[in-house]
Amino acid sequence: MAHLCLFSLLALSLVLKTQALTPTHHLTTTDVARLQAVLSQPFTDLKSAYYSVVGLSKLGIFVADADETCRFIKSNLDPSSVESLFYAAEASQALPGCEIPVSNDTRDLLLATVSEDSTASQIHQSVSTLSSLGLPLASQEVVSALKARISKEDNVLTIILALQTASRLSQQAELGDILEEIEDLAARLDDLGGVYLQFEEGLEATALFVSAAYALSDHVDMEPPLKEDQVIQLVNSIFSKKSWDSLSEAFSVASAAESLSNNRFHVPVIVSAQGPAAISHSQPFLRLQVTDVLCQPLSSASVLVESASATSSKSAILSQAPFTLRDGIFELNFMSSKPASGYYQFSIAIAGDSRFVANHVELKVKVSTRVSINNMDLSVVDKDQSIGPKTTRVEYPTKAKASFMADSHQNFAMTFQLVDETTGVELTPHQTFVRLHNQKTGQEVVFVAEPDSKNLYKFELDTTERKTEFDSISGTYALYLMVGDATLENPILWNVADVVLKFLDEEAPSTIQAKTLYTPKPEIQHLFREPEKKPPTVVSNAFTALVLSPFLLLLILWFKLGANISNFTLSPSTILFHIGHAAMLGLMYVYWTHLNMFQTLKYLAIIGSLTFLAGNRMLAQKAVKRLEGK
Amino acid sequence: MSNSVFSVISRFVEEYRSSTPNKLKMIDAYLLYILLTGVFQFLYCVLVGTFPFNSFLSGFISCVGSFILAVCLRIQINPQNKRDFLTVSPERAFADFLFAHTILHLVIVNFVG
Repeated sequence: MAHLCLFSLLALSLVLKTQALTPTHHLTTTDVARLQAVLSQPFTDLKSAYYSVVGLSKLGIFVADADETCRFIKSNLDPSSVESLFYAAEASQALPGCEIPVSNDTRDLLLATVSEDSTASQIHQSVSTLSSLGLPLASQEVVSALKARISKEDNVLTIILALQTASRLSQQAELGDILEEIEDLAARLDDLGGVYLQFEEGLEATALFVSAAYALSDHVDMEPPLKEDQVIQLVNSIFSKKSWDSLSEAFSVASAAESLSNNRFHVPVIVSAQGPAAISHSQPFLRLQVTDVLCQPLSSASVLVESASATSSKSAILSQAPFTLRDGIFELNFMSSKPASGYYQFSIAIAGDSRFVANHVELKVKVSTRVSINNMDLSVVDKDQSIGPKTTRVEYPTKAKASFMADSHQNFAMTFQLVDETTGVELTPHQTFVRLHNQKTGQEVVFVAEPDSKNLYKFELDTTERKTEFDSISGTYALYLMVGDATLENPILWNVADVVLKFLDEEAPSTIQAKTLYTPKPEIQHLFREPEKKPPTVVSNAFTALVLSPFLLLLILWFKLGANISNFTLSPSTILFHIGHAAMLGLMYVYWTHLNMFQTLKYLAIIGSLTFLAGNRMLAQKAVKRLEGK
Repeated sequence: MSNSVFSVISRFVEEYRSSTPNKLKMIDAYLLYILLTGVFQFLYCVLVGTFPFNSFLSGFISCVGSFILAVCLRIQINPQNKRDFLTVSPERAFADFLFAHTILHLVIVNFVG
């Protein structure tokens, strides 16, 4: 049973996975312009010059003032620093006609940096500089230095730098091990909700990884081990941020964008509808923009509608219809297939290059239309049907000339049809309301008109049935018809006629109850609990005396019986007992007047234990005496 | 009829006077006192009203409780009942009486208000 569940779950996940991902985030033309603006900022030092110049060259833009920039680079160059040489060399490569002077010392410095002891960043910078300046370098040494570095520092940035370095080496070198790092690094990416794939080190690391991986893959001409869905998730992560904190971040995004639009293996396709994906008779073309991640149109692509079906009925309208390319926009005349109004699900395929990734797109298209009202008939029907109905036909948008009267003997009825203006097909929009508005009191009541099986709308007003909605207020009501729907281009509000309603048992028109809700209410006076009536003090005192009187009787009786204290032994225990007992009785009185239970229990414990011990001793003595006396 | 009742009563009183030990007579006097006190409290309640009700209850239960404890003491002290109370000496009975009274009075004073 468990195996079956597992298998079905696996099958289900596979089915879901086959539905390819499409990018949810991408750069629009404004974003690309913003990226360009960030990179075009005037540079203050060699590092920012490098980012700007090389970043812009990745976007396909060349710096305006090349000579000025070249002079700036040369003047800021520090030949004793590998980093400075790196920035200068790379930037000068991007500028036409800019040459950095190289001395033997520089070359020796760069070659010396290629060793296991330098950091990965230093190795990367020296190798790139040597390569840009056209100086020879020993690729195998570099490879072994990189491998040693990776094994020492196993973090993401080091490996990315290694990949970048490897892409500058000779193709004869053994880059296999470094190439494998791409797959290991891809495994380290965090999958966020199935939509984003990024390193925890951040956006810059992810973008640099993408550009490094594709640079190396192109260099060795081997497809990178990234699945299509992963590529799309990387696109989502890198291009979700539309404003960049630093020049280096902008540079990394520009590099990633360039490598994703220009590599030999994977080119993600961005498909977006121009404006809302809505078609009507006035606007019969569905227009799509098909671009790469840098918003450059893919002219070699051919766009095809694989299938278009109505979302409600699932019947296919189109199959294998091509889009035509006009001015960089792909368009299709959908209205020529005469679709009924509503929503349609389009499945679009982009072909033309085997490198295209995410080239199947699902699009929801709305077809809207105009509605017209036919055969609007208003009539007053007698309840007992003795007199035939008088029907008046009204044409939209005019109003009926005469007003209609309906009282307790008559019903007011309305029938009409809603059709599509062009095709004449009957429509059932979402909202068909009948609103009655009393001009004098401002009261309005809204009803729904329902269609019957033949799509003919009917509305009937029975004054006796509906009198609660109207609060039994008679008068002239203006009747409006409201028709609306998401797929209608012309929603309708039409004052059809005036209806005079007469209700029985009309109450004097009271002001709307709402007014009295917000006035202050009468104040509630709190009645304190009145103390109960006490009997007069004389009575209480008399009865107190009466209740205490038997005590006297007791004393008299005891005296008569001969009670005495002759047996009173003056031993300490006896005295202590009597004192303790008296104290306990005193404590009872004090409890009644001053104390609470806890305090009493505390004192009682002390006095009680003393009394108990004393009493115990005393009674034992008495018992002994009694037994002796027997 | 009344003759026989009268003779029974006089016989009973005579027996009581002669054969009852003094100690028991004293306890009986105490019982009478308690009874009267309770009756008078009840009378007040019937005649004047139950306010304050908790005080009335407290007082009345005090009488009832004291009566019961005194009766217990009387039974335990009575030498004719010695066979039933082999483990309980009169002193022990008196000590129990005092202890029970302490608790009873604690509760009563708490309730009387």
